[in-house]
Amino acid sequence: MEITSWGIAAPAVIAAFVASAVEVVEAFTIVLAVGSLRGWRPAVLGTFVALGMLALLTIALGPLLDRVPLHLLQLVVGVLLLLFGMGWLRKAVLRSAGVIPLHDEDAAFAAETEFLAEEARRKHASLDWIAGLAAFKAVLLEGLEVVFIVIAVGAGRGLLWPASLGALAACVAVLAVGMLVHRPLSRVPENTLKFGVGVMLSAFGVFWTGEGLGVEWPGQDLVLIVIAALFLATGVATAALLRRPALVSPR
Amino acid sequence: MTLLRDIISELVAMFLADFRLSGAILALVLLVAGLIRAAGAEPLIGGGALLAGSLLILVEAAVREARRQRRS
Repeated sequence: MEITSWGIAAPAVIAAFVASAVEVVEAFTIVLAVGSLRGWRPAVLGTFVALGMLALLTIALGPLLDRVPLHLLQLVVGVLLLLFGMGWLRKAVLRSAGVIPLHDEDAAFAAETEFLAEEARRKHASLDWIAGLAAFKAVLLEGLEVVFIVIAVGAGRGLLWPASLGALAACVAVLAVGMLVHRPLSRVPENTLKFGVGVMLSAFGVFWTGEGLGVEWPGQDLVLIVIAALFLATGVATAALLRRPALVSPR
Repeated sequence: MTLLRDIISELVAMFLADFRLSGAILALVLLVAGLIRAAGAEPLIGGGALLAGSLLILVEAAVREARRQRRS
């Protein structure tokens, strides 16, 4: 791999790893709730069916991406990354400033457990079925975001495999820690990770959108680091501004 | 059907959680595309405008939401 390629391969792998870790932590909380309430059979079954569907989706989408002209692919993926990444970054800034509450895995675990018990009472259905479906839905919905992130950070320069490996490493790491501690991973600094991922995805978004529109960035791939630094500085400064209510008081 | 609805709403929320933020990003990309393709501006100037515009949109979206939260 050329030296300049590392400038984009490393951020792609890191972005895929960290973003996937955040999503897998959220899915793990629900799978753990299912497993704790009804045993591991429905939890594992729901998880594997969802993973199978995600694998099918990835296998189906992969060859299609090869047929799209590179500039068009960069533009579409870049715009989607801007929409997705800046949405994450905005939320992370607001959480960091204390405007909206932080995501709490312990609370999510308690809410899911209560929801499952209530659903079983209300529908008089088999709790195994409801529990399996809950695990399936959680893994599928969070997994869709992982698939998008992997495709988005990897497709523009043929880095789908490294990005996929980054995501896979995150899954293995979260599952290993989760199985070890056997409780929701509430100590993961989720908002810090989301802040970092939002910065990286937004930077990729500007970079790919620019390339798709014919911009030849100075320093080529290495400019990505500069763009990310500007997003990070802006995000941190905005969070600091929002912590001073007098400066953003309602008009 | 509920599952399908959940998947669709999750996909929509992934990209359009804040309609004004998403609208502003799309408008910025269209503006930069127009600058480069129609007005014949130097692509690098378009790239700079895209970056600066994105940063401004981020600040505006966060400040607007903070004001809205504090008002309610």
